[in-house]
Amino acid sequence: MTRPPDLIYAVNEDPPWPILVVSALQHIGLMAITLIFPIVLAREANLAGTQFLDLVSLSMLGLGVANICFSARSRFIGSGYLCGAAYTAIFLGPSLFALQQGGLALVFGMTVVAGLVQVAFAPLLRRLRALLPSEIAGLVIAVVGLTLAGLGVRYGLGIDAQQQKINPDYVIVAGISLATMTVLNIWSKGYGKMFCVLIGMLVGYAVSAVLGIFDLARIVPEGGLSVVRFPRFEHVGWSFDPVLVAPFAVASLAATLRAMGDVSNAQRINDADWVRPNFGSLAGAVSANGVAVMFCGLVGSSGLNTYSSSIGLSGATGVTSRSIGYAIGFGFCLLAFIPPTAVALAAMPLPVMGAALFFTAAFVFTSGLQMITARMLDARKTLVIGFSFAMAVVADLYHDALMEVPIVLQPIFGNSLVLGTVCAVVLNLILRIGVRQRVSIKLAPGGINREAVEQFLSAQGARWAARRDVIHRAIFGVVQVLEVVGEPRGGVEVEASFDEFNLDVQMRYVGLPVTIPERKPTPREIVASEDGERLLAGYLLRQSADRITAREAGGSVEMTLHYDH
Amino acid sequence: MNALSIVQTRAGDVCIVTLSGRIDSTNANDVKDELTRLISSGEKSILVDLGAVRYLTSAAFRALLVATHEADHQAANFALCSLGGQVRELFEMGGLLEVFAIHNSREEALKQLGGSVLRAP
Repeated sequence: MTRPPDLIYAVNEDPPWPILVVSALQHIGLMAITLIFPIVLAREANLAGTQFLDLVSLSMLGLGVANICFSARSRFIGSGYLCGAAYTAIFLGPSLFALQQGGLALVFGMTVVAGLVQVAFAPLLRRLRALLPSEIAGLVIAVVGLTLAGLGVRYGLGIDAQQQKINPDYVIVAGISLATMTVLNIWSKGYGKMFCVLIGMLVGYAVSAVLGIFDLARIVPEGGLSVVRFPRFEHVGWSFDPVLVAPFAVASLAATLRAMGDVSNAQRINDADWVRPNFGSLAGAVSANGVAVMFCGLVGSSGLNTYSSSIGLSGATGVTSRSIGYAIGFGFCLLAFIPPTAVALAAMPLPVMGAALFFTAAFVFTSGLQMITARMLDARKTLVIGFSFAMAVVADLYHDALMEVPIVLQPIFGNSLVLGTVCAVVLNLILRIGVRQRVSIKLAPGGINREAVEQFLSAQGARWAARRDVIHRAIFGVVQVLEVVGEPRGGVEVEASFDEFNLDVQMRYVGLPVTIPERKPTPREIVASEDGERLLAGYLLRQSADRITAREAGGSVEMTLHYDH
Repeated sequence: MNALSIVQTRAGDVCIVTLSGRIDSTNANDVKDELTRLISSGEKSILVDLGAVRYLTSAAFRALLVATHEADHQAANFALCSLGGQVRELFEMGGLLEVFAIHNSREEALKQLGGSVLRAP
C-alpha cells in the first residue's frame, strides 16, 4: 500500500484530538441527514411524542455501533478503513412494504433477517468475485452518487412529491451553504478544507434560522426535553413473514454491493497503487454491515449500509484516519442518550441536507466513474455497464410505470440502485459465457525470436483489455524462461489463456525444467558462475509470477506461469 | 527501440555509461565487457544510467554484479541511477536494491560521486 501524497491524515495515522473531534462531528452531521429514513418509517407508523424520539435515539445508537463495526480491523468484522455508516433508501422500500403488511414488528423482524443474509454473504465474496468485478462496484458507486445528487437537488430546492414547485427560501439556504462548502474545499487549506462540509452546514443552519426554516420550538415535545435520557423500547417488537424474505434478501445483496464499492473506494483513496480490491477487508465490511443491520432490527430501527458520502468527504478533505470512524461511533452512542441533539439533528433543515448531499455526491459519482474506467472496457463490459446504468436511470424516470410489475419484483424495479445492481450482476453472469480466451505461438528452433514473444503478448494483452503491469510481468517471465532453456530441440510453444481474473502462460519444450530455488541466491553465488545466474533467473520467476508450476514427462516439459488479474 | 545501445559521456571525473533498450543473455556480455574494460582502464567513478532500459533479465543482473565486484577490487566507485518503473520492480523482486549503490537521478548521483551535472546526449 502506497500512501497518496495528498492525504493529510491517512488510514493508519492518528490526527491530534481537536482535529479528530471536529472531523468526527463533520461526519456525524453528514450521516445525521440519513436519519430521515427511520424518521419516514416512524411517521408512516404514526409514532409521536416520546416513541418518535425513542426511535430517533435508538437509530443514532444503531449508527454508533455500525460505525465502530465498519471501521474495526479484525479478522472477521470491519473494513479497517474510515468507512461511514448511514441509513439507506435500499431498505426503505421493503420496510414500508413490511409496515403495510404487519406493522413495525414485521419491519424490525425482517431487518434482522436482512442482516443475517448479509452475514451469510460475507464469507462467499471471494468465491463470487468473478460475478462482482470492480467495474460493477464502480457502477454501484456512480449510481449512488447520481441518486444522492438527485435527492440533494430535491431537498435543496424544496420540491416535494405533491407540489413540483421551487421554494425560493430553500434555494437561498442551499445556495449559500453549497457555495461555502465549495469555496472552502477549493480555495482554502488546512482547517477550512478539512471542515468545509461542517462549516457549510452550520452556515446553512444560521441562514435557515434567519429565514424561519429552522425552528426548534416547533419540534420540541410539549413536556420539554431532559438533557440525558435512556431511550425506551416501547415501540419495539419482532415478527417474521416468509413472503418478505425475497425483497429483504435483494436489498441485502444491493447493500452488499454498495458496501463492496464503498470499501473499494476507501481502499483506492488510501493507496496510490490500488489495482484491485482487498477481499479480506471487503468481507469484513459486509459482515460488519450484516451485524449492524441485525443490531438495528433488534433495537427497533431500519437497515443501514456503508455511506458513500462519508467516504467522498474523507477523499475531499484528505482526512481518512480510521480512528475518526471510532470517534464517530462513540459520538453517536453518546448522542443517543442526549435528546436535544436527537431533536436538533432530526430537525436539520431540508436545504442544508440538500447542499451537503449535492456536494458529496460530486465526489461519490466521480469515484465511481474512476473505478469503472480504471479498466479497459471491451464490448462485453461496455454493454454490462451501459445497460445497467441506463436501467438505473430508467427506474427513476419511469418509476410509476415500473411499479406495475408483480409485487415480488417491486423492490427490484422500484429502486434505481437495486435495479441497476441486479441488471449488472445478471448481465455480467450471462455475458461471461466464452470469456476465457486461449492463443498460442510456436517459436521455431535456431535463433528464438524474443521480440516476437513480446509483440505477441503485448498485442494479446491489448485485445483482452488486460492490465498493462500484468502483461509486462508475463513478458518478463516468458523471456526469462527462454533465456534459461536456451535453444531446445523442437523449439518452444507458448500458449496464453486469459479471463477476467487469471492470466496463464504455458511453455512447452523438450529439455529440463527451470530450477525454482526456495531462497534468494547471494551476489557471490551469482557472480561465481552461470549456475548462480540460473538460480537468480528461477528466483526472479518465482517472485514475478503469482504461481509457477513445472511438469515433466518423457523428456518434455510444461511450465505454467500464473498471474492473478 | 529494443536493441541495446551503450553510450559513454563524462562529467568531471565521473564516467557515465548510458544503457538503453533491452538487456538479456544475447547482449549482457557486451555490457559486462564494456564496464570491466572501463574499470580496468583506471576509471575511478563509473555511473550507469538505466533510465532508458526497457527491461532486463538475470543475465543483465549478473553483468552488473560482476562489474560491481570488479570495481570493489580496483577501489573504484560504481553506481546506478534512474531506474524506471519495471526495471526498479525487477531489482525489488530480486532483492537487489541493497546490493548496488542506486541513485534516483543522474543529478543526485553526480552530487554523490563528485562530478558536475551533464545532460545525456
